[in-house]
Amino acid sequence: MSLDIDRVTKRFATTVALDDLSFSVPRGRIFGFLGANGAGKTTTMRICLGILRADAGEIRWEGRPTTDLPRRTWGYLPEERGLYARMTVLDQLVYFASLYGQSADRARREALHWLTRFRIPDYADRRAEELSKGNQQKVQFIAAILHEPDVLLMDEPFTGLDPVNLALLREAFVELRDAGRTILFSTHQMEAAEALCESVAIVDRGRLVAGGPVRELKRSSRARTLRLGVDGETLAPWLAQLPGVVAVRPGAGFAELELGAGAEPDAVLAAAVAHGASITRFEVAEPSLEAIFVDLVGRPAGDEATLAEGGPSDDAEPAAESMVEGAA
Amino acid sequence: MARHEPLLPNAGIVARREYRDRTRSPLFIASTIVLMGLALAVALAPIAIRYFDRLTVTRIAVVTPEDGLATNALAILDQLLNTPPSGQADPDWTPPFVIERADEAASMDALRTGDVDAVLLVDRHPSGQLEIAYRTDGLGDQQRAQLVSVAAFGLGVLDWNANRPAGDPFFNPIFRLEPINVPTDAGEPVDPQELASRSFLGIVFVVLIFITVVIYGMWVATGVAAEKSSRVMELMISAASPRQLLTGKVVGIGLAGLTQYLAIAIPAIGALAFQDRIAEAVLGPALASEAPLVGLTPTLLLAYGVFFLLGFTLFALIYASMGAFVSRPDDLQTLSLPLSLLAMAGYLAAIAALGGGGGGGLTRLLSFVPPFSPFVMLARVMTGHVEPWEVALSIALLVGAIVVVAAVAVRLYAAGVLLYGQRPGVRAFVAAARRAG
Repeated sequence: MSLDIDRVTKRFATTVALDDLSFSVPRGRIFGFLGANGAGKTTTMRICLGILRADAGEIRWEGRPTTDLPRRTWGYLPEERGLYARMTVLDQLVYFASLYGQSADRARREALHWLTRFRIPDYADRRAEELSKGNQQKVQFIAAILHEPDVLLMDEPFTGLDPVNLALLREAFVELRDAGRTILFSTHQMEAAEALCESVAIVDRGRLVAGGPVRELKRSSRARTLRLGVDGETLAPWLAQLPGVVAVRPGAGFAELELGAGAEPDAVLAAAVAHGASITRFEVAEPSLEAIFVDLVGRPAGDEATLAEGGPSDDAEPAAESMVEGAA
Repeated sequence: MARHEPLLPNAGIVARREYRDRTRSPLFIASTIVLMGLALAVALAPIAIRYFDRLTVTRIAVVTPEDGLATNALAILDQLLNTPPSGQADPDWTPPFVIERADEAASMDALRTGDVDAVLLVDRHPSGQLEIAYRTDGLGDQQRAQLVSVAAFGLGVLDWNANRPAGDPFFNPIFRLEPINVPTDAGEPVDPQELASRSFLGIVFVVLIFITVVIYGMWVATGVAAEKSSRVMELMISAASPRQLLTGKVVGIGLAGLTQYLAIAIPAIGALAFQDRIAEAVLGPALASEAPLVGLTPTLLLAYGVFFLLGFTLFALIYASMGAFVSRPDDLQTLSLPLSLLAMAGYLAAIAALGGGGGGGLTRLLSFVPPFSPFVMLARVMTGHVEPWEVALSIALLVGAIVVVAAVAVRLYAAGVLLYGQRPGVRAFVAAARRAG
């Protein structure tokens, strides 16, 4: 059983946010939903939640269309974070859980357990406005999981976290997966996806570019990753001029390069020698997700998508008429 | 179509949070205390008015061609009107009436300008019978008029005793009240004291309902706008349906408003219940029992409660959908202006209704038309002379309007809450309303 996104199309006024998008998230897995801003990730999640309705196609969980499923099926961490500023952390966690039908006692117990796990038990009785951004984000993560949903929809969950909190959240992901939850999370940070996901879907401008188990994607990709060390030199300008070569992790004396179609490791080596560089390291490795993304989409995921006029950025808003469902 | 979701329990959960959030805010507590004091003041106003009335001096002019009649009239009026309370000797007591002789032209001018409160005209018929007229501007104090009629009789007796030969029959003096410039309501004269106190109360109530509907309505709008701008809305909209959220918000804030209303009304009702005793303590037993106190009644308080709740619900639903259309609470002012003007129009019509005995045909019409009816019908109830069916019809129309507006408001709210970054504008709102309708 799985979460099936089946030929979903969604238009906002004149722009197409999702274009015949299909992919499946296996049950009990962590699935990465990769794309630049505006690729359609948030729109897909909102259709899952029933906040938006697809113009065509359907999303199903365990064979049932999302419109038939109770709200507590889903646990949602929105990309736009927000809490009630003057309410205490514990009060609002219990409040959100009770909207999903969770009993107050159980919600309180679970909330305290997670606050402790995230190393912020002392904040339970503080107002949300007193918390740092990172801590607020952790509280919001807890709000998404307290009612024990089957599927977690996490929109850019790792953005803005420091390394310690990042590690805590990744551990929580794995723990929830082991407890049988299905996790779909969107990101444009490829390292996070690489570290956590068994499978991914890469979307660009509402279209599926590639999808499936990460291992298979790597095997079938034309892209390669090249690690190049150069003695005593910062990244040389000649590197940028090589066709099909993108430096994803430029550093002093060392660079990780993604080689797209047509770019050969030999050509890079030849160029380095021709420019008189003293090479300390040269390694052709399995492509990273970043490399695959760049190869397929044509630019790194951190870049803003260039959109058609008035494009469907997930932040800049869809037209009103499409959002009135759930009202009847 | 979307999943079927009953209103409860989620609307209740949302309402409880809203209620707690409001009633615990310092602004709420402070405004409750201020309004409580105001309501108490209104409830006790008639006693205060009488208290100050006691300290003022009432002037009565006596107009008569005969010196003897003048002397007698002055003496009798003084004895009847200037009675110390309970007959006790009080060194601080000053006679409340000044009774003087004057000529007719001067006294009529003085009556018009309010320098004298009444004129007693005493004339003698050729037959010897006295003809006495008590002229007041407006209806005047009815109890005082009764005392004056007794004085007129006494004057007749004294005159007969002094001037008529023995055996001449006694003619009861002709006595009549001559009120001039009497305000009427539907042809019936209105007791000026009651009129004054009713329209005073009416103004207080209309101002109160206008302020509370607009203020609580804005609470709803800013609450929605704040949830949107803080992005809590993203969580809320996935946890509960727009119908649950909107209902919870309006009910929660409405209940907070009702709590404030009860906190205000209960002390006021208490003051009413004990007003006789309070009057006795303040005014002394004689003055306290002088006339029934006209003022706040439980019926008027009930009317206020009903029209407040219905008016608030109607406005709150519209305010909520407006709140859903702005990205920052600051932008709310622009969008809510037309609605405030609508409330203001109802308020002004209500004030007009308080003025001339219920207002004209337009006022009457507006007392049935939502969203003006909560203000205007309340004002009409305050001035009296409203048929029960009129009140019932007004309430029925208001409830009908709430049902229709609620259906549209839920759709607008659902459409608005996820719109970010758009410039708020009346046009965008109306366009969305049209689509939602």
